[in-house]
Amino acid sequence: MNGIDPLTGLLDRFGCLQTAEKLTATSNCKGRPFAVIWIDLDRFKKINESFGHPGGDEVIRKLAVRLRRVGGRAEISRMGGDEFVLLVPECDRLQAEQFARELTGAVEELIHMGNMTLCPTASIGIAIHDREESSLDLLERADRAMCAAKSRGGNGIVCSGDEPVPGRLGITLAREELSIESTLHVALETGGLCLHYQPIILANGEIEAVEALMRCSVNGVNIPPGKFIPVAEKTGLVARLGEWSLLQGALQARQLQDAGYHTKVAINVSRAQLISPKFSQALHAALICSNVKPELIELELTESLFMDVCDTVQSNLRDAIAAGVVLAIDDFGTGYSCLATLKDIPAKKMKLDRAFVTVLPEDPRALAVVRAMTQLGHELGMTVVAEGCERQEEIDILLEAGVDAIQGFFYARPMPDEALLKWLQARNTK
Amino acid sequence: MNDIVRETPDTAVDNLIERTILDIGIPPCPIILERFTTEARQDEPDFKRLASIIGTDVGLSAGLIKTANSPYFGMRQRVRSVNEAIVILGLKTASRAVAGLVLSKAFPNVANLERFWDASARIALLSGWLAQHLNIPGLRAEDAYTFGLFRDCGIPVLLGRFPRYENVLAAANVDVTRSFTEVEGVELPTNHAMVGCLLAQNWWLPEEICLAIRHHHDRAALESIDSRLPVLSSRLIATAQLAEYIVQQQLGLSLTQEWTKLGAACLRILDIDEGSLDALCAEAAPVATSSE
Repeated sequence: MNGIDPLTGLLDRFGCLQTAEKLTATSNCKGRPFAVIWIDLDRFKKINESFGHPGGDEVIRKLAVRLRRVGGRAEISRMGGDEFVLLVPECDRLQAEQFARELTGAVEELIHMGNMTLCPTASIGIAIHDREESSLDLLERADRAMCAAKSRGGNGIVCSGDEPVPGRLGITLAREELSIESTLHVALETGGLCLHYQPIILANGEIEAVEALMRCSVNGVNIPPGKFIPVAEKTGLVARLGEWSLLQGALQARQLQDAGYHTKVAINVSRAQLISPKFSQALHAALICSNVKPELIELELTESLFMDVCDTVQSNLRDAIAAGVVLAIDDFGTGYSCLATLKDIPAKKMKLDRAFVTVLPEDPRALAVVRAMTQLGHELGMTVVAEGCERQEEIDILLEAGVDAIQGFFYARPMPDEALLKWLQARNTK
Repeated sequence: MNDIVRETPDTAVDNLIERTILDIGIPPCPIILERFTTEARQDEPDFKRLASIIGTDVGLSAGLIKTANSPYFGMRQRVRSVNEAIVILGLKTASRAVAGLVLSKAFPNVANLERFWDASARIALLSGWLAQHLNIPGLRAEDAYTFGLFRDCGIPVLLGRFPRYENVLAAANVDVTRSFTEVEGVELPTNHAMVGCLLAQNWWLPEEICLAIRHHHDRAALESIDSRLPVLSSRLIATAQLAEYIVQQQLGLSLTQEWTKLGAACLRILDIDEGSLDALCAEAAPVATSSE
């Protein structure tokens, strides 16, 4: 590793990092600006596919020659593939933008390959060194700015600070969300996810089911579900998290089954999972891997999903029922409840949203709604559960109103798997 | 790193490993267990050899990797291979847990799996060799090895659950038009690629490996320009497929039609022209046919 790229004779990634480090130190010392310009060719993959790798290499060599021609005092590196970085000492933002336009002109000269002519374009990102910023952070900002130029369709220049922050999956996110997204990726690969289980208890004290609730913790830092779930939904990661919890929840149900507890495990399912034509395969895979009785698995879905017009969603729901798992309507009463379609929903359980519970003792009208919903649920053959119960007086009113089962802090907080087993053993309710 | 291991009570770690390995639900290869116990019973067991024995078994390897990645050990870096897992757990702890497992006979025996285990181990070994030999960009030999080992881990699970799955496999192996998973889909509600992917996610394997397992029979994902499959996943798939082809050429083990269906795409992904394939096969032959 001598710091030189064998194809172009420019600095390679290693050489670039070393030079950037030196320039950063000088810039810190002298207080003069220094710019990083990150260039990525557009559609290079297509060039490689059309002309093969030797053709692609030829294009890279030609571009390296051009960059050298216009590069002046900049240190030029090839970072690998079709990416080049220019480190320009004593260069402020205006100068860097002007320089980037000249580079664009050089890149865009036509290239003749056999009897074809290529019109290359590039996405360019610029970052100006901030005092005390590390060379790696600076390079990363330039790279991000380049990605922003690329996501705007390529053939453009973006200066760091002007771009929206793109996530790993290319979706615009605020910085905090970006950090959560990255943590979720780490969690998925380092065992940072786990399920906690909250019991749902029948009026006679028996355990009706436990709801699996996802928790995320990386390097000792817990991220509350209220923060990571919206990010997972926004980035599409929720589908992968959902698959993970499907198998994890099923394994837990199996463990309970083996310990003699025929307690259902309720697993939350998102729309991102249900719109996938592979959902049914994943559900069956989880059932097969855990070898659990399907009737011990309950899928919790919001009301709107049962009414989703997407054919795949509906066919996935039919498949789930055919597989023998139980469906439950989650957060009932807070969405756009449609009584006309409620009668067709194939769920066996209705979970009343906590919004009704928290106002109960004081609000007689809320009680009237709870009574009516409970009766409706019963008429449709569903078990009715109230969520978010924290006080004895709430529970008394709910049971009086006909609710079948209670879930909430009053009985138990969500707990890890070992704690759940101990809790069940302590209650001795096999 | 070792300090963390030393501080943890041995029995707690043993329990954690045993529980995790039981979770995996893949029966270990009886021959591998036998070789393991024979070695472990020696007065001075060869630890290097024990590690290599564990490393050729999908169920045990998965158990160790998942355990090492569990938050119990609080490692910042994720473990991606059996060797790394053994470093983190300590060979003594890992060996003791596996030995305990052998005695407890926790797994049901699934018959006729020896050939499957043998093929998996060979493909994994050769995949690692190919990644190194071909200098495939971005592809670590360890990852290629791990993927080769786990690629088909859904198969023993399905064999254990569906008595007729052996016939399904036989049909899928000879089908020259439909994809392997399509043939499985006719008889089963899922397929070994999906089962394997879910297991791999549950074992905290890197995303690229999980996706590679999910799509390793997916010709469209390998061929499409707009495929959302990460490049590293397609390189993993292509490397293991090439390894399987070479192993089959050399040993005539579990012959399939996969190379007919996916070979061209794999060669393109690995940037190998068909003309140089024979020479590569000849070079790889000693690795493909080595006994361990």
